[in-house]
Amino acid sequence: MIWDAGPREVSDYLGAVDEVQTLIESLGSLSMSENGEQKELLYQVDNLLQVAMSRLEEELIHILVQHKQYFEPEYVSFHSCQEDVVYDESMVSLEDESVEEASRRVSSGSVSGENIIDLIDPRVIPDLKAIANAMFASNYDPEFCEAFICARKDALNEYFILLGLDIFSIEDVLRMKWSTLSSEIKKWNWAMKIIIRVYLASEKQLCNKILGGFGTVSSFCFVEIARASLLCLLNFGEAIAMGSIQPEKLFRLLDMYEVLDDLLIDIDCLLFEEAGSYIRIEFHELLRKLGHSARQTFLKLQNAIVSDTSMKPLPHGGIHPLTRYVMNYIKTLTIYDDTLNLLLEHQNMEYTNSVVESEIEQELSSITFCPLACHLCSITSALECNLVKRSRLYKEDSLQHIFLMNNIHYMVQKIKNSDLSLFFGDEWIRKHNGKFQQHETAYQRATWCSVLSFLRDDGLVSNSVFKVTCKERCRDFTAAFEEVYKIQTQWSIPDSQLKEDVLISTSLKVIHAYRSFIGRHHISDKHIKYTADDLEKLLLDLFEGSRRSLRNSQRR
Amino acid sequence: MPATDYQGSFLGRISIRRNQVMSMEGNHEQEIEDLEMFQKHVADRFADLLSPQPSEEAPAQTLCSISWIRKLLDVFLCCDAEFKAILIMGRDPSQIIKPPLDRLIPELLDRAVKALDICNAITNGIEAVKHYQKLAEIAVTALEQRPFGDGQVKRAKKALNSLIAAMSCEDKDGNNYTRTWSFGRRGAAATSTKCTGQLRSLSWSVGRNWSATKQIHAMSANLVAPRGAESSGLALQVYIMSTILVSVMWAMVATIPCQERTGLATHFPVPKQLSWAHSMIALHEKIGEEWKKKEKKGSAGLLEEMQKLEKLGQSLIEFTDNFQFPAEDERAEEVTAQVAEMAETCRRMEEGLVPLQMQIREVFHRIVRSRAEFLDALDSTGKVSATAI
Repeated sequence: MIWDAGPREVSDYLGAVDEVQTLIESLGSLSMSENGEQKELLYQVDNLLQVAMSRLEEELIHILVQHKQYFEPEYVSFHSCQEDVVYDESMVSLEDESVEEASRRVSSGSVSGENIIDLIDPRVIPDLKAIANAMFASNYDPEFCEAFICARKDALNEYFILLGLDIFSIEDVLRMKWSTLSSEIKKWNWAMKIIIRVYLASEKQLCNKILGGFGTVSSFCFVEIARASLLCLLNFGEAIAMGSIQPEKLFRLLDMYEVLDDLLIDIDCLLFEEAGSYIRIEFHELLRKLGHSARQTFLKLQNAIVSDTSMKPLPHGGIHPLTRYVMNYIKTLTIYDDTLNLLLEHQNMEYTNSVVESEIEQELSSITFCPLACHLCSITSALECNLVKRSRLYKEDSLQHIFLMNNIHYMVQKIKNSDLSLFFGDEWIRKHNGKFQQHETAYQRATWCSVLSFLRDDGLVSNSVFKVTCKERCRDFTAAFEEVYKIQTQWSIPDSQLKEDVLISTSLKVIHAYRSFIGRHHISDKHIKYTADDLEKLLLDLFEGSRRSLRNSQRR
Repeated sequence: MPATDYQGSFLGRISIRRNQVMSMEGNHEQEIEDLEMFQKHVADRFADLLSPQPSEEAPAQTLCSISWIRKLLDVFLCCDAEFKAILIMGRDPSQIIKPPLDRLIPELLDRAVKALDICNAITNGIEAVKHYQKLAEIAVTALEQRPFGDGQVKRAKKALNSLIAAMSCEDKDGNNYTRTWSFGRRGAAATSTKCTGQLRSLSWSVGRNWSATKQIHAMSANLVAPRGAESSGLALQVYIMSTILVSVMWAMVATIPCQERTGLATHFPVPKQLSWAHSMIALHEKIGEEWKKKEKKGSAGLLEEMQKLEKLGQSLIEFTDNFQFPAEDERAEEVTAQVAEMAETCRRMEEGLVPLQMQIREVFHRIVRSRAEFLDALDSTGKVSATAI
């Protein structure tokens, strides 16, 4: 190859090509008299030119192939341990930590700002320019462009492989199982940034460097090189936007939306010329579709919560997986608040046309009144309704209250200790603190009123039977207590602080009543099975979520 | 174009009547009338495709030419609009989840998804056609040069050889789709391989193992004409629309380069006695025969412009092979005519290919939208979502 042989050979060759061109021009400008010799000469030079151009085309391909370079981005694993927020029907409770992990967004990676890289060794750019000049000057520009486009297209195709990008049919994408799809989406987000912002931006510059002097040729070549690959990326997005609506897809959809939204300006820059305008418009259209899909998915969440019903109560009255799921889900949503507000506002504009409303909105522009906040409130209301329905599945009133207390407390904690508090506001938190406390009180009443009624003095009149009755009452109380113990040790209050609160107020009430009953009636130790201290200790076993019995067990 | 004309009036009529809201038992007579109209329109449109009548705006298009395919896609878009007007517009969605539609509609939607991939594969195939056009244009430029010399003849020969090689290696089971990847590794030496001289850059756009033939087969596998009580009414309309979808996609695959097409020419499973299908079947047979002929020889597709390039290309190669300076006048005249024809073909491609690509994209988006409309309708019947709180 000439260009491998050294600069001297190159300049000699180019010099010769130049001479041939000059000769053709001067021969052409001589009016064609029927001078056979001159004609003969022109044909020969023309032939020579063809040989030279053919050679230059080969050299061009050789250089393009030998000196191409790739930008290798840092390796990113998309099959990491990150799990998505998934509602597991099998009641296996979702670890909050893993959700926190999942909420981490696709890292923006190392791609940012202007990232022009050299896709061709910069040392050969002048060579390529020289070849372009020579070929264009002899009207061999179509040959140059075809070779250039094909070589650069191949390089881009290879880059797809290098990035590990698989190309899927739409059918494949629609059939993909969620975990695979989720990692493919992450990969798409990552690849879009690299390909649009780094690779294609650099490709465009490369085209400009080599072909900038030839009018629209440069942008024509660029679009030819990029089009097929852009359509592949586009079609993946189309497939995602037309997929079924499932709540767990929302975060990935929002990721895609945000990535594309962010890249649109780059896409507009790359394709602002006529040649690429249709792809540019397609990407804008895709953004709209992804937004629509994300919005629909979000709005469906509420329906999903409402229609999530079961005939079986959750054992032990603890925190329902649905509660965990919904709360973790909306907690993750808050990191997308800007995008979601935008999408939801857009929806409001689509469906309501009252001017008054928007004025009110402006006045109450605090975050608690943003569209997202309103939707979040109705989501938690839907959840509450669902929980109330579920609580009715329990036979015992007391357990209904424990269940609701647990779940509402969990909701309050999640909101209080995260950015969700900004959306719900103090008023909501205060109200719901009150709610779970009411359920606690209701529990105390439902469980302990009847048990403690044995220790009340009313009805104990006659002195003769009094002693006997007191002992009986004491026995009855013990039996009732044991029954409660047997049942409520199975129940569960997962939050230790909450459990402590419940136990303290129970203890206060029960121990106080017991102690004063025994003291009042001078019941001797012979007749009592448990001392007040015993009871106090036993109470600590309640709500541990594992059944215990006192009757058969050996005490002390 | 006449197709669009009667589409407009038909849609208008339907929507006015639909606004009066059809009762559950349906206005049966109206429905039968709708169905008859639909069948008639389908029959007319395909008859027009089969033997195009020249009109003032458009001269008669040759079968399988770019403008003919564009007309075919117009027909598809019209039929789809009419179909949706009958099946969805103003209709109580609960009607489309009753048997047998509860089975037929999901099947239709499944076909629609497959059609989307075909659209994408075809869009990619058009990239190849554009490449052929560029090569032919180089040959035209060279052979139009006057005076006519050895250099230009060589230039034309090189381009024509690349053209013929590209077009014939296109069809060897679409293998070039994977071969291009290895180009870089083989370096510039690739110029000496089978695809002679030209860098071939045509990647797959729909996945590595995707096959157009398999796709078409899968689309028509469960396509069965409704019988008995089902043979009228909505089931038949779904069947008609499915048949249109399959045959339009099939025709595109047969004409335009597409990934993996071995065994494409197969029996078209539509009963011949159905009057609306006559022209469609005839069209299928006509194209199918052509395909069988070409498949043996191996060609890039039945696209009329491509066939022309191939024929002219081969003839011109023959000329360049035997060319000796100076050219004989008689032969030169013949060549001039052929070059002019090739130039005219290139011009038609230049004018037609980009709009065709856009139109395929339009069909793509239409299919996506129609599918979404059906899914919405189905969804609204599913769980009548309890509006909470």
